[in-house]
Amino acid sequence: MQTTTGDAPQGLWPKGIRSSVALAFDVDGPTGGAMLDGSIWRNPSFFTLGAYGPWRAVGYLLDLLADHRMPATFFVPTWVLETWPKQMRAIVDRGHEIGYHGHRHEAFWQLTRERQQEVMAQSLALFRRHLGLVPTGFRTPSGDWGDDTIEILLDAGVRYSSSMRGDDRPYFIAHAASGRSLVEIPGRWELDDYASLAYQRNPDYPAGLDRIASYDTTFDNWRREFDGSHRDGLCMTTLFHPKVSGKPGRILLLERLLEHMRAQEGVWFARCGEIADWWRERHAADAEATR
Amino acid sequence: MNAPSAAAHARWPEGRRMALVVTIDLFDDAAILVQEPRMQGRAKSLSVWQYGTKRCVDRLLALFDELGLRASWFVPGTVALGHAPLVRRIHAAGHEIGNASFGCENFDLLHLEQQHRSLLAAQETLAGITGEAPLGFRSPFGNWAPGFTRSLREAGIAWSSSWRGDDLPYFHPVHPLLPPAAGAPLVELPLHYELEDEPYFSFNLFPPVPVGQPRIASYREVLGNWRQDFAGFHRFGLCLPLRLHPEIVGTAGRIDMLREFLSDVLSHADVWPATGREVAAWWRSRHAANEPGHPVDVLAPLHQPPAVAP
Repeated sequence: MQTTTGDAPQGLWPKGIRSSVALAFDVDGPTGGAMLDGSIWRNPSFFTLGAYGPWRAVGYLLDLLADHRMPATFFVPTWVLETWPKQMRAIVDRGHEIGYHGHRHEAFWQLTRERQQEVMAQSLALFRRHLGLVPTGFRTPSGDWGDDTIEILLDAGVRYSSSMRGDDRPYFIAHAASGRSLVEIPGRWELDDYASLAYQRNPDYPAGLDRIASYDTTFDNWRREFDGSHRDGLCMTTLFHPKVSGKPGRILLLERLLEHMRAQEGVWFARCGEIADWWRERHAADAEATR
Repeated sequence: MNAPSAAAHARWPEGRRMALVVTIDLFDDAAILVQEPRMQGRAKSLSVWQYGTKRCVDRLLALFDELGLRASWFVPGTVALGHAPLVRRIHAAGHEIGNASFGCENFDLLHLEQQHRSLLAAQETLAGITGEAPLGFRSPFGNWAPGFTRSLREAGIAWSSSWRGDDLPYFHPVHPLLPPAAGAPLVELPLHYELEDEPYFSFNLFPPVPVGQPRIASYREVLGNWRQDFAGFHRFGLCLPLRLHPEIVGTAGRIDMLREFLSDVLSHADVWPATGREVAAWWRSRHAANEPGHPVDVLAPLHQPPAVAP
């Protein structure tokens, strides 16, 4: 083990814990831009490409997580929940957390306050109806939100977000006007499977149709990300998508990563909600300080 | 997680664990001219794609002969007319010939009626050349209009490999607003980009293919990906459709990579190497319907015709 860097944080985690891992999956399925503009209904190849995630890959992922006794968080657009309720109920039944991710993967930063409120209310109603639960976490679809989004989330009962990219440990996002705050669990593009493995034509992704990366070198990148996060005592979350990294060959890649992480001492594998609760309890003084 | 379930175990003939279907797009320069119209009249660029029929089909045929493997070749009508002796030779070697439309069209740009005519023209052309009407169909760019499933069934097509969304075969429903179709239910053998050669290797400097001019992928790493994809399909007991292009994977430098991969796969006695026609017939004999909630059944009532300019 190499020495930690100069500003390695101390005492971020419960006793005996060096770093935390909050595995997280965005179950986008076929939602997103092409569903929002309606073009997906003329594009069966693209619709079925996306549908593979909730339809098949979630099942493989749940078995993999069970084999390695790993909890995870799944951010689910509620169009996906409405369409495949049985598959989404299995996520909860097998001990994982479910969080908000829009209804059709709406880009919150482009929505009016009223429209954002409608999406949150619609999602809440569907989570209640199909799963009998009220999520406490939110990951903003496509990553950006508006100036008014924090207040909308707090009013909807959201306690944490996993939307930003600019840190490697949780922090508080304050809503100054009301004295409330969200815990933010930031992700990193390096740990987004779109940055290495996603590929589709019509609409093209990547825009320039760059190649699908090597699974072997992708594993090496992700393994190094974990090793660094663990060495420095940080919090690592993932932006994995079942339709991308839950495919049969890539399940083996995730399996290697989980095996590697499981073999280390002092890792806290937790749902995002547990990380957020810990952070709020342990670091409440910081929340005060940010006001 | 290593052992497939009992249901998965009974999924394939003779207790085999998974199915392998090798499909070849014999598109010559037809698809690239549709995909990139600026190719027109550019002999050097077009020769990149014409190299397939010139040299690479023979390399593939020799490899398949060596491995005792039969593939399903999709041929557009125009390519078949331009290379009739070659198509006859592929057919005579025991391979399956499938329909890939008449002019290798992008069906997103055609009305249902035009799609229907393209299908029938290719069906007639291919039957005329090989003496056998195709049972398989591939939409070259992946899509078709609602109602075309009916056209396929009525044309005698029994299977397609065009859409995505699963790692097992599934049935295409007829559009819910249309009357029931004649012919056998249409089986889909869904595709996966990671099991295609084109996303990894296609290249032309200008007009640029792919559009963003990425580097050609490492052969060694692609072989590694395919081996790992195979390991996953094998573990879960699935249907692995390989989608290849002669001019891409049948080059002198890449054929060995394909040989290595296929030899490795075929060294597993529990792999069922089959043509698309055989897998579709097997699936139809064992299943009457899709599992409830299948993506293709979710889509059916929402599927709209292409927005074609008048």
